[in-house]
Amino acid sequence: MRKNNCEIIRRELDELMLDETSSPAAVEHLRECAACREFHQKQTKLRQIVGGLGTVAAPPDFDFRLRARLANEASSATFHLTSTYWSFARRGFAVAAVLIVFAIGIALVRNVMNRPSEIAVKEQPAVKPPTPTPVETQKPAVNPQDFSAAVPENSPQKIKKERSAQMTAKVRRPAVAVDFSSQRAEVINGSVAASTVFPIDASLQSLKFSLDDGRGNARTISVPTITFGSQRVLQGGNQFAPKGVW
Amino acid sequence: MNTLTTIDELGFAPALQQEMVEDTTSDHALLEATRTGDQDAFAELVSRYRNQITSYIYRMTNDYDGAVDLAQETFVRVYRAADRYQRSYAFSTYIYRIATNLAISELRKRKRRKLVSLTGFFQPTDGGEPKELNPPDGRPLQDSELVDTERRNAVQRAISTLPEKYRAPLILRDVDGRSYDEIARILETSEGTVKSRISRARGFLREKMRAYL
Repeated sequence: MRKNNCEIIRRELDELMLDETSSPAAVEHLRECAACREFHQKQTKLRQIVGGLGTVAAPPDFDFRLRARLANEASSATFHLTSTYWSFARRGFAVAAVLIVFAIGIALVRNVMNRPSEIAVKEQPAVKPPTPTPVETQKPAVNPQDFSAAVPENSPQKIKKERSAQMTAKVRRPAVAVDFSSQRAEVINGSVAASTVFPIDASLQSLKFSLDDGRGNARTISVPTITFGSQRVLQGGNQFAPKGVW
Repeated sequence: MNTLTTIDELGFAPALQQEMVEDTTSDHALLEATRTGDQDAFAELVSRYRNQITSYIYRMTNDYDGAVDLAQETFVRVYRAADRYQRSYAFSTYIYRIATNLAISELRKRKRRKLVSLTGFFQPTDGGEPKELNPPDGRPLQDSELVDTERRNAVQRAISTLPEKYRAPLILRDVDGRSYDEIARILETSEGTVKSRISRARGFLREKMRAYL
């Protein structure tokens, strides 16, 4: 009980300021308790020593240095603001430049993308796309002069000229198949073609086909002579040999 | 002949009154004026607190030049934050809180940098009580002033060895004579904690200063 009382009194005394008067109960306790009295004396002396440290004065140029520091801070803050502004402005310019380049790119791409479609729209009426029955539809479109290349009476110079003209005119035209089956084959009479027809040795001359693809491109297919060994053997022999004799 | 009935009739009453008004201008009013750009008001605030703040930080850090720098930094922060200042508590509490935070921050920086003071060389490596470099002076003491000086130095060194959480409340209470309530607000803690820490700090000091008590 007494120890508890000492703790309470010591705490009370400890919390007081030095110039404050302690309570009568504390005074009474200190008069009776030697340990608390000694503690209080030491504590008071310690606090006096600590309190005696006093206030250390600031240097005389404290205000001057502070003003200089504040002025320096203000100028550096202005510089900082300016630099911050320019850094933001630079970023803004960069972003704007990127956006402009991007917009120009998009415009160019759109322009390029639109051009073929315009060409297609322009060319569409001129070129008739091949239909499932091209033979019937292409017939009227085909100019008989187009087949002049296949006609033998035309001269090679004329054919060349026509071909070049066709090539320039139909560069982008799609390939058109032309069916000649409905046209009558030209008959070469002996009297008409007497001067041009010359005897050929059919057995040695290869068979040649000249085809026109409709665009002036002629393709010549040469079929080699088909020979049969037995026929060769029997060429000069008896063609009316009995059956089963080679 | 008319007799003077009051002191006001002496003629310098207005000047006296103005001086009194200037002296009693509250810190809040000065800071308010600082906010509006009144440099003289800020100069007045500085003149009121420069010694207190410098001294407090010096007791905390035991480094005068550093304390002056930190005191200036304290005023710079007050000036910069004048627009954001709230009058919910006393200006002294506000400025002491800034100073305390700066001092504690500096102490922690020093600890991180492991700046070894001359006294640090004499600290035992076995975790025992640190011993201060205090070479005995064989010369006889001339007078009581020297004794006081020696005692003050010993106290300052002893305070500087206290943990920072005990150091600040002890200085605020025993050196600056602030109330527990104000210390609690400065340190942003409870009054009970402040009392407990001060009691423990005094216990530490009593042990260190046994020879002087």
